[in-house]
Amino acid sequence: MIHEVPIFHVDGAILAWAIVFVICLAVALLVGFVASLSAYGLGGPKMFVRILTGGLRDLIQVSPRRIGAIATLTFKEALRRKAFLIGLLFLVLFMFGGWFLSGTDLDKPAKPYVAFVMTAMSFLLILMSLLISCWGLPADIKDRSLHTVVTKPVRRSEIVIGRMLGYSTVLTIILVLTSLLGYAWIRRQVPDAAQNQLIARVPVYGQISFVDRNGEPARSGVNVGDIWEYRSFIEGGTKARAFWVFENLNVDTLRRAGNLRLEQSFEAFRTYKGKVDEEIRYSLWLLNPEKDLRVLVDRYPVREFTTDVSDAVVEIPAELPSSDSDGGTVNVFDDLMPNGKLVVEVACVDEQQYLGTAQNDLFVRMPDRTFLGAYAKASIGLWLMLVLIVMIGTTASCFVKGPVATLLTATAIFVGYVFKGQLNEMLLQLQSKGQILGGGTLESVYRIFTRMNQTTPLPENAGTDLIKSLDQGGFGMLRVINLIMPDLTYFNTTQYPANGFDVPFANVLLPSILITLGYFLPLVILGYFSLQLRELEHK
Amino acid sequence: MSESVIEVRNLSKVYRDFWGRPKVRALNSLSLDVKKGEIFGLLGPNGSGKTTTLKLLLGLLFPTEGQVRILGRPAEDVEKNERIGYLPEESYLYRFLNADETLDFYGRLFKMSSAERRQRRDDLIKLVKLEHARKRQLKEYSKGMTRRIGLAQALINDPELVLLDEPTSGLDPLGTRDMKDMILELRDRGKTVVMCSHLLADVQDVCDRIAILFRGELKVLGSVQELLEAKDETQIMTSHLSEEAKREVEEVLKKHGATVKSVSHPTATLEDLFLRTVAESESRPGRRFEPGERPSTENA
Repeated sequence: MIHEVPIFHVDGAILAWAIVFVICLAVALLVGFVASLSAYGLGGPKMFVRILTGGLRDLIQVSPRRIGAIATLTFKEALRRKAFLIGLLFLVLFMFGGWFLSGTDLDKPAKPYVAFVMTAMSFLLILMSLLISCWGLPADIKDRSLHTVVTKPVRRSEIVIGRMLGYSTVLTIILVLTSLLGYAWIRRQVPDAAQNQLIARVPVYGQISFVDRNGEPARSGVNVGDIWEYRSFIEGGTKARAFWVFENLNVDTLRRAGNLRLEQSFEAFRTYKGKVDEEIRYSLWLLNPEKDLRVLVDRYPVREFTTDVSDAVVEIPAELPSSDSDGGTVNVFDDLMPNGKLVVEVACVDEQQYLGTAQNDLFVRMPDRTFLGAYAKASIGLWLMLVLIVMIGTTASCFVKGPVATLLTATAIFVGYVFKGQLNEMLLQLQSKGQILGGGTLESVYRIFTRMNQTTPLPENAGTDLIKSLDQGGFGMLRVINLIMPDLTYFNTTQYPANGFDVPFANVLLPSILITLGYFLPLVILGYFSLQLRELEHK
Repeated sequence: MSESVIEVRNLSKVYRDFWGRPKVRALNSLSLDVKKGEIFGLLGPNGSGKTTTLKLLLGLLFPTEGQVRILGRPAEDVEKNERIGYLPEESYLYRFLNADETLDFYGRLFKMSSAERRQRRDDLIKLVKLEHARKRQLKEYSKGMTRRIGLAQALINDPELVLLDEPTSGLDPLGTRDMKDMILELRDRGKTVVMCSHLLADVQDVCDRIAILFRGELKVLGSVQELLEAKDETQIMTSHLSEEAKREVEEVLKKHGATVKSVSHPTATLEDLFLRTVAESESRPGRRFEPGERPSTENA
């Protein structure tokens, strides 16, 4: 299953970036102004303006030649310090990894191999990017090698950018080599019978809606008691239906392919044993509400007893027999897909049995692309994340020492990769309901010590008012962290080739590119001023 | 020698602790000028503030009070570094680079074409006598070799002003002599040199003017010649005199009211003797000196 990333709106994202950037800039200017006043009195503002104009000049007048020199130096440093030996580690992993992977996923035998390669690359390269970017500059400052550089006509912005570029180049080369090695290994290791799973499916997902057993619109299907509410169930032998609406389909591409392919991953839920040697079935219609057309495609078994992924595909020919009694046909592309819009209706055939459906359980499968292409795109996603980590690590190392910079960057990765989704959800809940179940940190502590459950209202008194107010401050901090921390969930491209999907550009690669670019300027500015205002020789 | 290359006015530096409380006053109201084309020495015992001064000039430290202008620009101005060369106390270079790569890297930081860099690199490696080790990584260099390549990187941009922090530290007598010769050559080519050192003999040998610092305060400032000259005494050096001639000279001096304080043979410096011995040994391998015998000055 693919873990869906939030839909990325480019316009909204750019606007949000601009707003956060301007706010951060304004706060930084204010803090700098106040600090200059408190440190230097009335002469402070003059110094503040001088530093600011100098900074602006240093950020604009960067020299590609000097940046290139520093980047080359960084590259040579990594080369001479044998950073590329990490490739050998991959070789060892690949040599013996196959022993433990065969037969670990009967449903998708190719998946463990692809996931192993991508995950191994991610972990090792993320670790490497973290270490080299966080320790390089502090080591330079500690060894005082940087003194011989800053006493040349080198702007601190050039040092920051040069370092970022150098580390990124090192990681790019390692990533390219390990990706090639990994690809060859996958092709060699995946069993012959599963080689056909090395594909890149291109899904187009639709919007799901339900009608209940009486044919009335419903928010969802039936909950059959499954604690995981991902799927919603429709009752068999009734008017209960699930509808999918697919928009903006490229009809010409589908027409060239000659047929319409739908792929499903429905789940059956039996309320009684029934015929155990027969699968629960579902029926599938294609609709054109504009022409009032409703064409039954066929009845299909739910994949209850099989591990073969190929039978999950429903191939619909271009011509379907019309539901009318005249014996005519309906052209799927001309009659059922006006303006690239397709409506699919699904019902459970067997009475008193249920069909579990989720929005992503049915998708239009566009013509497949090559696995190599998907693998390359996934590697690009990983590369963008490495570049982002390098940028964060280098910037952190401009104002703190190596261990602290590593901790700081690791925290950013952890929050961005693991907690960002939860953080978003929590803040959305706060925004929509005005509170979070169980309250904030202090309220939670209060509830633990007073043994009060999450739903019981707090007693009204000055103490609890204070707790709530302080928690609101904490939520404010969380909002700021959520705005500043990068959302790394978009960069998780491993799952796509591992599950046989193409990496979507608009919703995965484009956000990754924009996020990486979006952090470049603020991080360079932060790194520059941190290095510029730092006394390199301070005792 | 009238144009000021460095102007320091009331320069003070206070090191503070983590909480911003004053810890050490490393420099206190220092004011001095360094003129174009001179070799200026900053002297003082350890902790007197000479390296702090140098780092304030370079913008590696920020002054607590006072102003610094170098080549007409403030210390924090990056542009001034186009015309400056700096040799740090320890040659803090990138140890994984070799000599060629080191000079090429520092050359790329200036507006120098590839051909210019190559030419300059070859000239400097020859100047600091590292032709035999130009492809070796700096981590394999001895301290003396590291100082030499450090000087070469300081001169990569043919600077107008060279700042040298303890330039002869860690060098053997031959290396020290070479370094001093190079410093003198720089002055002869019109460069201004500021060096700080606690090796007084080296400073005396090369500096035109000196400043002596003690606990962050300027104690003495002036030309070496003027500061060391004993104007109330006279020294006459002649070729060898017989005992009788010496007595006659003493008589003449007494007649003019002078007091003869001492009459002796002049002694060479230990540095001269060492250099002569090495030079003689190089020109005549296998030669051993008898006890009391001295190497000739011909090969020195």
